[in-house]
Parts: sequence; structure tokens; C-alpha cells
Amino acid sequence: MSDMHDVDSTGPFPSEVQLHAYVDGQLGDADRVRLERWLDRHPIRAKEIRGWQRDAQQLRAAYGDFPGSARHRTLDPMAIRVRRANRRRAHLATAAVLVLALGIGATGGWQARSLTTPAIAAPMADALQAYRMFATDRHLRLDMTQHKPGQLQAWLGKHFPHAPPLPRLNGAGFHPVGARLVATDSGPAAMVLYENLQGGAISFYIRPPAPGKGGLPHGQRRDGQLVATYWSGNGYNYALVSPATAADLRTIHAAAFSPAT
Amino acid sequence: MRRTTFTDDQLRELLPRLRRFACWLTRDVSAADDLAQATLERALSHWGSRRDDSALRAWLFAIAYRKFLDGKRHARRGALMLELLGRSAPTEQPSVEREVVAASVMEALERLPDQQRHLLLLVSVEGMSYREVAALLDIPIGTVMSRLSRARAALHRLSEGESAKPPVLRVLK
Repeated sequence: MSDMHDVDSTGPFPSEVQLHAYVDGQLGDADRVRLERWLDRHPIRAKEIRGWQRDAQQLRAAYGDFPGSARHRTLDPMAIRVRRANRRRAHLATAAVLVLALGIGATGGWQARSLTTPAIAAPMADALQAYRMFATDRHLRLDMTQHKPGQLQAWLGKHFPHAPPLPRLNGAGFHPVGARLVATDSGPAAMVLYENLQGGAISFYIRPPAPGKGGLPHGQRRDGQLVATYWSGNGYNYALVSPATAADLRTIHAAAFSPAT
Repeated sequence: MRRTTFTDDQLRELLPRLRRFACWLTRDVSAADDLAQATLERALSHWGSRRDDSALRAWLFAIAYRKFLDGKRHARRGALMLELLGRSAPTEQPSVEREVVAASVMEALERLPDQQRHLLLLVSVEGMSYREVAALLDIPIGTVMSRLSRARAALHRLSEGESAKPPVLRVLK
């Protein structure tokens, strides 16, 4: 590693800059050899340089230690993301209360209408809802984040004993990062969040079938900006949810039909 | 390959270095952790604007350094306010721990001006290249070299040349 060619390469040898670069190991090999020969012939300068080297060694000995890890946990990137997200959420909540207060009169009639119209449940609507809640507000309220491969699979197995292997989306550039448990009318469900290099998100959703209903046929549907592929197996219903604009849409949703073993 | 985890792991790997650098700047472990935390928050909120992975350390350190300088400016304004109010800013009280005379090189380093001290630590201990240091401190590389030259001479004079003198107790902030 030599920075010195862009600092100083002309003038009498060695320059002050070259002497420092020598002490700091930032001199190119050829110059270093040349400088060592020069120092052999200039004992007074050589003594001074050795003094600098000794000082640098002592500095490394005195200041090379890293401070204790008292607050390491609070400095973890994930912890900081979560705190940032919480702060953002607090701000949003404040804003939402204001909006609600202002809008309550205007939208009251419309809300009453939606309350009286029974919704027709589309398959795995909760998977899409979970995606909207968690995948769009990244790292917000995830129950666990994966630090080592296999952790998510183990976590999933704890909550869903017959859970299949997680769909492998590596081919489309997506990797599992964390998961969140959610409550449904038929028991706990979980959403596993995948991310890619660009920060895009895909979710894998697993839930027990609705009471009195069997499994789902393989299927796919589009809901607004999202696409959900759904299927059943091992006593659970599954959905893979991604933005409809995902570049590798076909690869992603094909993974749902051929989960890795 | 796993980008989020990968870069987070990279950050985690750099954490001890970041905290050490923050310690050098603030000279106080808990203030250093505050600085490290503020740095990471800033870094994570500007994650997309970073240049490339190899420059992650330089980028983090630069954020920490700017935050540190901002903090100092605030502190100076605070001290000025106190003066206007007819009080002096609180000075560092020596503690037993801090009165312990450090090894001569530490003592010498603590007597150097901040700029020289930071530079020596970054170059000698952190092992940064002159170019990286220049970018970090936002000064021309020629200034890095002249400052380094002065710092080294002063450190040597203080640690060796004056070691015959009775040790000066120096409160390490």
C-alpha cells in the first residue's frame, strides 16, 4: 500500500514524507529498500527513525485495545434499526391521531358503510395483509432476525412442528432475514421476510387452515400491487407474497411450487 | 451473498474499531458509546448513499468525526453561554484513576493538540493510509503530512526528551 506516489516523488531522496511513510509501512517496496540502504549510511537519521518506530509501537500497545463491551447490544445494527423504526412509528402514530381527528367527521359515513358490508374473504387475505404491515415497514416488530443460516428454519419448526423447509429464493436473489408471529382466527400464523440486494421484500406466510375448511388448491391471485401464490401441505396453508412488479416474478413464485427439500 | 445480514455483519465487525475511535475522540467510554450510536443511526439512515463496501470504515469514521466536531461546537456554545451568565464552564475534576501517571508515551500523546493526537492514532494505531486520513479529516494530504511530521517530533520530544523532567500530572479528559 503506497500513497506516496501522489504525495511526493521528486526532489532529494529521502523526503520527510518518505521517512514517515517508511515508519507507517506506506512506502512502496523499491523505495523501502532504497531508504533502508540510505539509513545504513546515515546513523543519526536512522536513530531518529527508530525512535518514531518505537513511539508508534508504544502507541499501538497503549491504545490498541478495544473498549469493553458494556453497551454492545444497544449498538447492534439491528437494535438501532428497531429503535429508528419505533421512533418513526411513534411519529406516524402522532400524525395518524391528528389525521383521524380531522378526518373522523368527513369519513364517518363511509366507515359506517364498510362496517355494515360483510367482506368476502379472498384466499390468504391475511398473508397479504401481513405483508403490507411488516414487509413495507422493514424490521419493524420482527420477532426474530436471522444471524446464522438455519435459525429461521429452527424457529419455524418450534412454532409449526410440521413446517416444510423454507422456500429457497436464492435464485431470484432473495434471502430470509427474519420472521414475525401473527394471530389469526384459526391460531398462530407466521410471516418469514425475505430481502434482496435492492431492499425488495418477499414474504412466506404459514397458517393453520380456517376452522371447518380443508387445504387450498394451488393458486395465484393479484391484489393491488401484490401477487400471492398459495398452496397447502403438511396440515398448513402457505402463501408467497411479492410485489407484482418484482423482476423475477416467475422464478419467485415457481419456488412456491417446488420448495427445496 | 445475503446482503442485509452481510452488511450488518460487516458493521458489527467494525463496531469495536468505531467505538475505539469514538473513545479517542471523546476520551470517555460512555460518551464514546453515545457517539458510536449516533454514528450508526446516521449511517443506517443513509445506508443507500454509501459508496462501496471497502470504504465502510472510512465512511463510518467520517460520520463519527463530523458528529464529534458538531458536538464540540455545541459544547463551546454552551460554555460561552455560561461565561455570559458569569459562571465558568465546569472543568474536568481529576479522579484517582485519572491521576495515575500513564506510561510516558500516553502521557506525551495526551499533551499533544487534538488534531495531532487524532492523526497519530489514526495512522499508527488504526493503520489508515494517509489518503484515507486526509479524506476523513477533510484536509489536504499535504496537511496530513506536515501535521504528522510535527506530531511525531512533538511526541518524541515529550516522551523521550523530557522524560528526565518530573512527570506532569495530566488529567485525561
